[in-house]
Amino acid sequence: MSTSQAIYAGWMEIPTSAVNEEARRRTEDAAISALVDQYAGALYRVAYSVLRNSTDAEDAVQEAFLRVLRHRDTLAEVRDHRVWLIRIVWNIVLDRKRRAKTRPETDDVSELARVLPSTGLSAEELASAAEHHAHVLKCVEQLPAKEREVLLLSAFDELSSVEIAAVLGITESSVRSRLFRARNLMAKLLEHDRSLR
Amino acid sequence: MNTNLHNAMSSDSGPNSGEDTLRLIAGLPAPAGLEERVHKALRAAPRSGRVLAWPAKFRAKAALESNWMRAAAAAAIVFVVVGGGWGVYSRVQPGPAGKVIVMPQPMPSSGGFSGAGAIRTPATIPGPKVRDQGTKGPRDQETPPAKKPAAPKKAATSQHSASAPTPQPAVSQ
Repeated sequence: MSTSQAIYAGWMEIPTSAVNEEARRRTEDAAISALVDQYAGALYRVAYSVLRNSTDAEDAVQEAFLRVLRHRDTLAEVRDHRVWLIRIVWNIVLDRKRRAKTRPETDDVSELARVLPSTGLSAEELASAAEHHAHVLKCVEQLPAKEREVLLLSAFDELSSVEIAAVLGITESSVRSRLFRARNLMAKLLEHDRSLR
Repeated sequence: MNTNLHNAMSSDSGPNSGEDTLRLIAGLPAPAGLEERVHKALRAAPRSGRVLAWPAKFRAKAALESNWMRAAAAAAIVFVVVGGGWGVYSRVQPGPAGKVIVMPQPMPSSGGFSGAGAIRTPATIPGPKVRDQGTKGPRDQETPPAKKPAAPKKAATSQHSASAPTPQPAVSQ
């Protein structure tokens, strides 16, 4: 059990007395530090899946933890820290993407070939796979926002439909219906492009 | 119900559905040293998010004596408000009595209009008087008849001469 889990499970209690203000602050800092160690990687991957730029994704993760630091008084009220943190970083990356209409760096096939794993592939196969991935990502960008968001989050193995619903602030049935629509649209888009070639 | 979508996705999506690409991207490892950099950013961040905050040593002391301080603050506020009100009241001098203008009392209205006691007299134009032939008034007898204008008189005379036989001038043959 990590420090943050121990704190919020109840047996490591944050003292609320004003006399122990300093001790309370130190405990909160330790809890935030534990959250960073535990979830920074997951938050980075969520941020990267939307922004597809490593620097921007890292900035988003830092901003998310700075927000947590600013609202550390409410940490004790949070039930599921993982979903809560993913929701924070999700809102940050969507906001950043809306504001900065920059092209993701992984739209370049060569950059994608560099980023994606390439174990056991020849150079030719790697180039072909990178081209396919770039094409898929282009199709994902053509999806409506609601369907695209569900599709992106569903790619994370560790997120259940309930958790996706909690991150997006919708019901679980909405997640399922949006995912169904997203898959159908993706299949049509890919089929259409295949027929054009 | 906590269902993982990954299994459902794997069964639904074929190899070319594009979700393998998204899963590849979602599974990319975080860059090395990310946690350290986040820790560093958190340490460099300003600690207090409060806009107005007492220093820590005062805050603890104030918390202990919060009831006493609240009472004192309330008393101070009451004192300031009452003192200010008294200051204004004591400086205000009553001015001279103003002239009173008695306004006429409005008519009591019982709903609708009233005639206010007025009697309606129709405004008629005096018409021509019919002269009675049998009974002449003394005024009619005494007053001489009005002189006729000159022009109608002339016309009357010429008319009279035209109707009467004119004396023929003697013609000597």
